Amino acid sequence: MKRALVAALLIVAAIPLLSIVAELPPHAAPDSPAYTHVSAHYLEHGAEEAGAENIVTDVILNYRGFDTNGEVTVIFTALAAVLAILLLPSEERVEERPAPAMPVSMVVRFVVRLLAPFIALFAVYVIMNGHVTPGGGFQGGTILGALVIALTIVLGEDEAHRLLPRPARPWLQAAAPLTFVVIGIAGIAVVGSYLGFPAEEPWQWVRTAWLVILEIGIGVGGGAIIGTLFWTMEAER
Amino acid sequence: MIEALWNNLDYAASVVLFLIGLYAVIAKNNLVKKFMGLNIMETAVFAFIVALGVVEGGDAPIHGPDAHPPFTNPLPQALILTGIVVAVSTTALALSLIIRIHRQCGTIEADELREME
Amino acid sequence: MAYWPHWLVVVVVAPLVGAVLAPVVGRGRPKVVALWALAAMGVTSLAALNLIVRVAEDGPFSYDMGGWEPPVGIELRFDEFGASVGIICLLGMLALLFSYRYAEHTLPTERVPYYYSLMLLNLTGLIGFVVTGDLFNLFVFMEILSLSGYALVAVSGERIAEMAAFKYLVMGAVSSLLVLFSIGVLYSVTGSLNMADVAARLGDWGARSPAMLALAGLSLGFMVKAAIFPVHIWLPDAHAIAPSPVSAILSGLVVKVGVLGMLRVYQIFYAAETLDLTGLNTLLVWLGAISIVMGAFFAIFQEDVKMMLAYSTISNVGYIMMGLGLASSYGLIGATVHVFNHALIKATLFLSAGAMIYRTGYRTLHDLRGVGKAMPITTIALSIGAISIVGIPPTAGFLCKWYIALGAFQADQPFFGVALVFGALFIFVYYIRMVNAFYFQPATHPEIAEVSEAPLSMLVPVIILATLCLVMGILGRIPLSFIEPAVTRMLAPLGG
Repeated sequence: MKRALVAALLIVAAIPLLSIVAELPPHAAPDSPAYTHVSAHYLEHGAEEAGAENIVTDVILNYRGFDTNGEVTVIFTALAAVLAILLLPSEERVEERPAPAMPVSMVVRFVVRLLAPFIALFAVYVIMNGHVTPGGGFQGGTILGALVIALTIVLGEDEAHRLLPRPARPWLQAAAPLTFVVIGIAGIAVVGSYLGFPAEEPWQWVRTAWLVILEIGIGVGGGAIIGTLFWTMEAER
Repeated sequence: MIEALWNNLDYAASVVLFLIGLYAVIAKNNLVKKFMGLNIMETAVFAFIVALGVVEGGDAPIHGPDAHPPFTNPLPQALILTGIVVAVSTTALALSLIIRIHRQCGTIEADELREME
Repeated sequence: MAYWPHWLVVVVVAPLVGAVLAPVVGRGRPKVVALWALAAMGVTSLAALNLIVRVAEDGPFSYDMGGWEPPVGIELRFDEFGASVGIICLLGMLALLFSYRYAEHTLPTERVPYYYSLMLLNLTGLIGFVVTGDLFNLFVFMEILSLSGYALVAVSGERIAEMAAFKYLVMGAVSSLLVLFSIGVLYSVTGSLNMADVAARLGDWGARSPAMLALAGLSLGFMVKAAIFPVHIWLPDAHAIAPSPVSAILSGLVVKVGVLGMLRVYQIFYAAETLDLTGLNTLLVWLGAISIVMGAFFAIFQEDVKMMLAYSTISNVGYIMMGLGLASSYGLIGATVHVFNHALIKATLFLSAGAMIYRTGYRTLHDLRGVGKAMPITTIALSIGAISIVGIPPTAGFLCKWYIALGAFQADQPFFGVALVFGALFIFVYYIRMVNAFYFQPATHPEIAEVSEAPLSMLVPVIILATLCLVMGILGRIPLSFIEPAVTRMLAPLGG
């Protein structure tokens, strides 16, 4: 009954919504406001002004870098939130884990061990090449995180924990926002505004270096956070 | 109007998807399903905004020797990258809340939880 | 460029750095991390003070992130409404100070650094939300403060805390998505994300209905955040169950995000002059009036002190929304100043109630009878808060409610002025009940007489806030005249 009512209400709500989206600028039209105003500037000047051939990277790291600064803070917030909710007091922590119902087969262990360095290499490639090809810090960071998760499942937690040594862990988790703040302040010092990048002739290598540093910071921080999230949730089984 | 709607089918689809997600959020009883509804809504909004950036015959907005215009709009893609990260963070938080609820109350059905209160 | 606009960056980045480094600093040292968080907020407050002095002298100014001029880059903008950064810093400092003992004793040691981290992130989000001039950036900061808010509700680990947090999360996330969707719609018709630029270009697209859809989505989204009737249902549980310093922040500041968001949206749509906002205004006034009466009505029947305060928040946000919807200069001034004053008052109430709960372990009026003799200073502070929120002169609550009532007459809607007075009467009833229980009724639990006064780190914030409630009542004209130019500027397109 309740469900039918909700469905009916939503169907009624759909009618005005659909009639309004019909009046939005036509889909895929090259003369729509969305394509001709700010984005036109990005597409025209992005590569030389902002320093990366991948315009999406230009927008993320340079033109709208402050958004991304906020975004890495959001992931850090998720980490702090999950830890604040799930972290067990040390006396309650269970040391003895029940053995998994089915042990991981030797083939899987071998293959994952074999592939791990290549996965890591691929992650590094995606991170470092974000300004010329699709990819970047977030994508690479996710691959790193997936690697941590795979190793945890196959090799067990203790082995995987060695990837993120305990004393360095809070620093690695905070890596992405910290990198942004450092580069941002460097921007104030050099260019005169937060997250500004030098664009004049002899200093373009600095700009590229900063973009790469940001990508690395995002990648490392993202990977560390995803790994920790997985461990924290897993400990609660 | 039908013609305009047909032309904007991508937007219409995301509106429908949004409402389907909303239905799941309101009507489903299981907390995980409720949350999946929320994820559907998120996807709908992301699809809508990415669709805003599509351009007839557009290529990926990466300059270089082989690239030739027109390029698609880079801004919506950049925005949605941020949006996805936000969605992932919300998912992580919601799942950990659900884990705690299950641990404390032994159930994640909304009606049973309401009875317990 | 002169050095001082950089304060606008500091005010956002300082709490952020404090937050991400809190786990590094605070491993197993709950006292150190509290001091660290206080230091971070200290730097932020210094920056905020500079900005407020600057805006009082020279008027609004902006800061181009990365040196990109808007609309290409992100613009931070500081105007008179931005002065709410001041109250955010003040309440943030006091809530952190209050947490100094509270967190250490009520939370497991391992979680304490993350608690402070979340507090600072919440404040970062609030400050960023207030100072940004870019729609998408607004969304990002809104998500920082929402996510940390959901988590802070659940952090106490009490039995229904997670359920309350989950309810809050689902409603909050749906409202955020509405906001994001509307931002997408605005982007599709204007091609821009900068608020001023969107306002300037909104009329260019022929059809007006997309702008209407965006307005509806943004309003609905922010109404959920502001917990206006009928989308208030997440608030009472979440605010009552959260740790007391968190309740003070959530009730005093986080619900105001909805209000400030509405203000931002109104600034865009008033300036664009493409839509007639009368319908929305009428809706706001009505919903505000219903929220006032309903919040007050439900509060009367609550036994739990914090639950009572939570319902009172609904009714006070109702006042603010009503003032916004009246769209007359008096109403709007009253509403914006009530954003400040309600934050002060509600923080006083929640923190003093929190101190009582911390010392006695009880949280219902029945159990807390006679606490007035055992904890005299805390109870006096709570009573001052109670008088202020009813709106008895000369306290902080009086002047803004008076202005909102004046606004109702100015807008030729005297009925709502009357509704407002009735609401105040209701509120009076339940605070009388509270004060009565604390002072005049015999103690239910005899051991309550032996309870000692709250520790200094809790007493100091409570005393400061209670004093401010009185001082702001006497010096109430200062914020009123401070905010006036901004309101006049905003209402200028309406021709009045």
